[in-house]
This record gives sequence, C-alpha cells and structure tokens, in this order.
Amino acid sequence: MSGATRTRLIRSNTTTAVAVAAISIGIAAVLFGLGFAAMFELIALTGTLVGFPTLTLLGALLVVQGGAVVTFGLGSRFSVVETNPRPDAGAVAAVVFALVWFVGGGIVASQLFGLGLVGWLPAALLTGGVGFAVTVLPGEDIGSTAPAGAVAVLTGLVFLSDLVGAQSVWGLGWEQQASLTAEFMIPVLTVFCALLTGWAAAKAYGGFGARGRRAGAYLLIYLNAGAIVTVLFSLVAFTLFKGLPGLFRGVAVGAGVGPQSTISLFGFGFSFSLPVAWPFVMNGVGLLNEFNGVLPAIVGTFWLVVGAVLFAVPLGVGAAIFLTEYAERGRFTQVVEVATNGLWSTPSIVFGLFGFAFLIPRFGNGKSLLSGMLTLGFMLLPLVVITSREAMLAVPDEYRDASAALGVTKWQTIRSVVLPAALPGVVTGVILGVGRIAGETAPILLTMAGGVFVPGSQTANVLGGFQFTASPPFVANPQLLEATSALPYQLYALITAGVGASGNVGNPDEFRWATALVLLAVVLSFYAVGIVTRYYFRRRLNYE
Amino acid sequence: MSEIESPQKGAETAQPRQTTTGESDEQLRAEWTDYDFDGEAKLAVEDLDVHYGDEHALKGVSMDIPERSVTALIGPSGCGKSTYLRCLNRMNDRINSARVDGSVQLDENELYQEGVDLVELRKRVGMVFQSPNPFPKSIRENISYGPRKHGTIDTGLLARLFGRSDEESEERLVERSLRQAALWDEVKDRLDDNALGLSGGQQQRLCIARALATDPEVLLMDEPASALDPIATSKIEELIHELSREYTVVIVTHNMQQAERISDQTAVFLTGGRLAEYGRTEQIFADPQSQRVDDYISGKFG
Repeated sequence: MSGATRTRLIRSNTTTAVAVAAISIGIAAVLFGLGFAAMFELIALTGTLVGFPTLTLLGALLVVQGGAVVTFGLGSRFSVVETNPRPDAGAVAAVVFALVWFVGGGIVASQLFGLGLVGWLPAALLTGGVGFAVTVLPGEDIGSTAPAGAVAVLTGLVFLSDLVGAQSVWGLGWEQQASLTAEFMIPVLTVFCALLTGWAAAKAYGGFGARGRRAGAYLLIYLNAGAIVTVLFSLVAFTLFKGLPGLFRGVAVGAGVGPQSTISLFGFGFSFSLPVAWPFVMNGVGLLNEFNGVLPAIVGTFWLVVGAVLFAVPLGVGAAIFLTEYAERGRFTQVVEVATNGLWSTPSIVFGLFGFAFLIPRFGNGKSLLSGMLTLGFMLLPLVVITSREAMLAVPDEYRDASAALGVTKWQTIRSVVLPAALPGVVTGVILGVGRIAGETAPILLTMAGGVFVPGSQTANVLGGFQFTASPPFVANPQLLEATSALPYQLYALITAGVGASGNVGNPDEFRWATALVLLAVVLSFYAVGIVTRYYFRRRLNYE
Repeated sequence: MSEIESPQKGAETAQPRQTTTGESDEQLRAEWTDYDFDGEAKLAVEDLDVHYGDEHALKGVSMDIPERSVTALIGPSGCGKSTYLRCLNRMNDRINSARVDGSVQLDENELYQEGVDLVELRKRVGMVFQSPNPFPKSIRENISYGPRKHGTIDTGLLARLFGRSDEESEERLVERSLRQAALWDEVKDRLDDNALGLSGGQQQRLCIARALATDPEVLLMDEPASALDPIATSKIEELIHELSREYTVVIVTHNMQQAERISDQTAVFLTGGRLAEYGRTEQIFADPQSQRVDDYISGKFG
C-alpha cells in the first residue's frame, strides 16, 4: 500500500479481518471491565469465573488478545489484509512503547533473574530500545500492534505460569515495608494491557492511517469516559447500599404513627401526627428513643445553606454588577478579580478560623448557627462574584446599546435586561458553591459545634424562633445563636468518635453510612433545586 | 441612472470637474456640501469633530438635515458615517475614548451642552442598529420596553393591584408600532413568543417597531438592511419610505442603489472622516460635483 496505489473509496466493513479486529476490540473491553471488577473486588482472583480459575481466564484472554493483535499486524505487513498504514506509528506511540518496554524489561531482569542495578539497567535500556525500534522502524501496522501484543502475551504467560499468583506479594523493600499485592498488581496489569491492545486493535479495525488513528483515539476516549462514569456511579451506589439499612430502620407508615407536630396560627395550636414515622430523619439521639436519628444535623445543614445563600447572593451579585457595569475596567477591577479568585481557593479551615476569631466573640461568645451561616456565606461570596461577573460580561453589548438608544437609564437596563440574561449563569455559580459549602466540615467545626450524638432538643427552629419585642431591634431570634449540628460535621464526629462512644445507637456503622447517605441526598437535592431554577430561567430567555 | 451604469460616460462628464477654478479645497468642499432645502432643518450640525483616542474620526462636518425626509449617508468603510450618525443621539458618549467637538442642534436645541437629558433626547431620536438586536423577551415586551421604562405605560404589579394598569393602551401601542413596522400581520397571533424566534428580517422590523414605540421624531438607522436577504431588505426599504411621511429618517448604508432608491438627499463621506458632498439624491447620483465622489458612486473605488 505505497503512495502510488489508491485505497478504495468504499470500504466494506464485513471482511473477515475486520470482524476479527472487532472481536479483538470486544475482548479488550471485556478485559478492561474484568480488570476494574477485580480491582474493586467484585470478582475474586482466587475464585473461578465461568468455570475457569479467574487468573487462568485472564491470562488466556490476554494471550489470545495479544496474539490476535500481532497476527493482524503481520497480516497487514504481508498484504494479506488490506490496510493503509503510514510509514511509522508516531512519536507519542514510540515514546509510550519505549517506556513500557523499558519498565517491563527492568522488572523482569531485576525480579525474575535477580540482577543488580548494573545488570538490569542495560537490560531495561535494551528492551526499551527494542520497543522504540519496533514501533518506529517497520511501519505503522507492525509498529502499533507488535509491541502492544507482545506485552499482552507476556503478561498473559506470567499469569498462566503462576509467576504472579493470586497470593503473590511483591515486597518493594522500602523502609515503610511497602508491598504490592496480587489483588492490586493483577487488575492494574490487566487494565493496562487491555488499553494497549484495545488501542492497537482499534487501529487495526480502522485499517491504520488516519482512519485507524481516529478509531484508536475513540476507543481510548470511550473506555476512559466509561470508566469515569462507572466509578462515579459505583461511589453513589456504594453509599446507597451501605446507607439504606440504617436510613430505613424503624420506618412505619400508618395513621398517627409519626411524631406529634404542632402548628400555631394566631394563638391557636393544631396538633396532629404525621402518617409516616421515619426515625432516622425525624429523631435526634435520645435515651428514650427506640430508634435514633440525625434530624438536628439535617435541619442544621438546611439552614446553614439557606443562610449562606441569603447572605452571599445579594452581596455577590451586587459586587458583580458594580464591577461589570459601573467600575471602569482597569487596575482596580483587576486587583478585585485576583483577590476574589484567591479567596475562592483559600482553604476552608482558614475561613473557619476567621469565623472562630471574628464572628464568635461578636455573637454571644459561643458557637452558633449564625456564625456558621456567615462563615459559609463568606466562603460562597467569591464564587458568586466570579460567576455572576462572567455571566454579565457574556451578555451581549447590543442589548445595552439597544436599551440606551431607547432612552432607558443604566440601572433600569441592568435590572430589566442584563440581570435576566445573566441569571442562568448566576444560578450555575450558586449551585456550584452550594455543592461545596454544604459539605464543608472544617468551618462548622470551629464556628457551629455540634456533637457526636445530637439530641433532638438541639434541632434549630429558626422560623419559630423569631421573637418580636417592643424595644429596638424589635425582632430577635435566639435560635440563630444556639449551637447546633450539621451533617458533614456530625459524620466526621461519628467517624472519629471510635467504637466505645457509640453504645447508644444500635449499630454505629449503619448509623454512619446512613448519615453519609443523608448528606449526599441533601446536597443532591440542593443541586436539583438549582438545576430546575436554571432551566426555568433559560427557557424564558430562549425560544423553543 | 444610465450614467452610473456606464463608467465611460461618467468619466467623460467628470472631465470638466477636474479643471480648477482657482478656489481652494476648503471653498470647494463648502460649495459641494452646501445643500439648500425648503423648510426647517430638523437637525443642524456645525463643525463636528470626533476623536476616538488619537484617531480623528470625523473632521469638521457641517450638514443640516431637513424634516420628514430620508437622508442617506454613504461612503466606504471607516469614513465616519456611522460616527456621524451616533453623534445625533449622543450614543458616542457610551464610548469612553470618544471626544466630540462642535455643535449639533435638534430643533434649535444644542445637544452638546451641560444639562441635556439623554433619556429625553433618545426618546426623541430613536436608533436602529446594523444587526437586529431584540431583547430575549416576548415580542410584546420588546415593543413596550421603552414606554414602560419611561413610565408612559404602567403594567406593573402595583398598577394592576390598584386597577390603574395601562394594559389596553399597551395593546394599542404594540399593535400600532407593529403595524407601522409592517410586522403586525406576521406576529399578531404570537405576541407572547420570544422575539429571538423570529427570522432576521422580522427581528429587524421588530427593532424598528421598538424604536417607533417611544414615539420619536427622528429615526437613525445604521445599515439596517445589511444583514438581511433581498426580500427582507425590500420590505425594510418600503417601510422607510412610509416612515418618512411622519419621521425624519437618517440612514447609513453601504448599498448605493439602496440610497438612490429610498433617500431624498444623500451625503457622501470619503475616507478621512470628511463630508465630500451633500445634496439632493438625484443630483448626487446623476451629476456629482467632485471627481472622487463620481469615482466612488460609479464603483471605481470603495
């Protein structure tokens, strides 16, 4: 397939060779999945899989896969398979394979043959050089298949020959007694070989050349995206499965089973019982409780976020309006910009210290909900400023011109045109910020306190706490000055409290996981509210 | 018309213009830009200079614009015609580096002096921009935006609560403006749809309707048809013709045929920010006095 001959315009995808390459890609994907499953201990290395010992199966698959890839490369070289390879496999591939072969050669020489530095370094350099040469010299088809396939075959043989068995431990001989166990090594090697050979197989599937490179890149991107999504979902699923038993302990549905609630309106009180009893989210911790829960922390987190948003959003949006619409762009705005960016990346414990040293002495000298709200509000402020500013800068100047040409004042323009157009961006910023502050532990630790097991009496009753007085300041809310708890802090306290302190909740482990799940759910519901809001504002701006 | 289409003949008739009669350039320019018309000048511009930073964008332009007519401003890119236009409603104030010297009078009121109410000025001198720029709001809100903000129409929450809402007059205003802009029939059933869903030509007519809704006396248009297809363009041109019965229209255009079709008088700006010639449109196109204007309108440069 030199430059003189043209490749066919129409490629039929049904030839045997292409089918083999496709199957090879499939095997790579399977190996990738098996590797991850083994890493998370979903499959046991010592057990069996579809009738074979797991390790044998992995080894055999690797050998087959490596062989298939190498065969395809050879077939292409000797024109059995019609492909369109370039003269070499590319610089990146060459460097990667040289490194792989250098490391592989070094490990084999030092561990298998027990050579010292003088022995293994030349060996590693030699294999690395061979890897480089094989990638670069013989043309793209051999260059991108042979080194990858050989690595897979060798790894497969190592697995099959039991050189690395399911029980192997590779002591690294470092001071910390670090060692790599088979449970870690084997999955990593499998995933790595799957990526290498999968890429080679994808290139072969595309017939090398530009098409092949595209196919190889796609494969890596898809596997990567798939792995990320899988990890994220398994994280949520993990928390979900661990947390659900504790969360639903003692749930009862029926008339009058729930806790007594009282609503007072104009002096009249209505008492009623909710038809659902859900102890974990409706109770605090108490000696008389049959089932304990984290109600104070849920309520605390809710009010914290609400308070921080109410504090930070008006201030932040106001500052952003000033910076984008009124302040002359220059040194001043640049300094403010750098400062806000810096504040956003300031560690949260520093904000906590500020709250501890500055806010607490001013609000009754004790840890309180209000201090926590303000501290988190200060943390949220820079992000609101940054994102609101970006959103307002993105509003086209044409709107401002059009409005000015109609004789509308600047402030009216900002209110009726700029802000509505910037709202989705502002809301996005608030969503991101709430996601961060709702999970913050350190600032709450210093400003809001809490405790390991928070009794139900510490539930903040912010709405009911307002008191109206005849003398200034006319309205007070002692509830805001009470110490209460929040979910991330309570989780931290539960984990660090140790086993001894956890006698009064039935199963401390379940209690912890359920707390984590509730925290996740609370943060995600804040997200959901934000996303719905943003969707609403976007719909109003765009025609559909 | 035929002279424009045949450069040969145009060059022939231009020949005598090159002979100097001993007058200086300044005198010649003053002669060529002196345009006598019947009636009052709606806008009187005297010795207008505009600087953008170090750049001298407009040099000593003097031209009066008659009432209830269409004035076209033509010239190559960067010649200062848009700058001139933006001086007429002080939109240049919005550019930080811009400095304006000279005098612009609207009905004999000096615009460049202390104490000019920009809101009132821009209510009386409306503007339509090159690219359609409706707000991302409903068609109705786009039209009533100006009057609402000026307080002429109040449909706010309190107004509705206290029963003094002007919804009916808003309806009338929306219908009148859209009819004037020849858009009513196309959008009357979807006044609450987002204006961004309209086609480009419709959006531009909506912008014209929006400018008309504040009941201006002068309408400035900065290449209003340059982003539109021929059909939409011809609609806008008809519209401008209609509007000139009630309004004073000043329009910047790159399209010389368009200027010839729609305008009563034409001002030609040439590179360097100077007004080269100003006069009745037929006279400018049929018998330009300066060689450079002749070259420009016959397509030899620009």
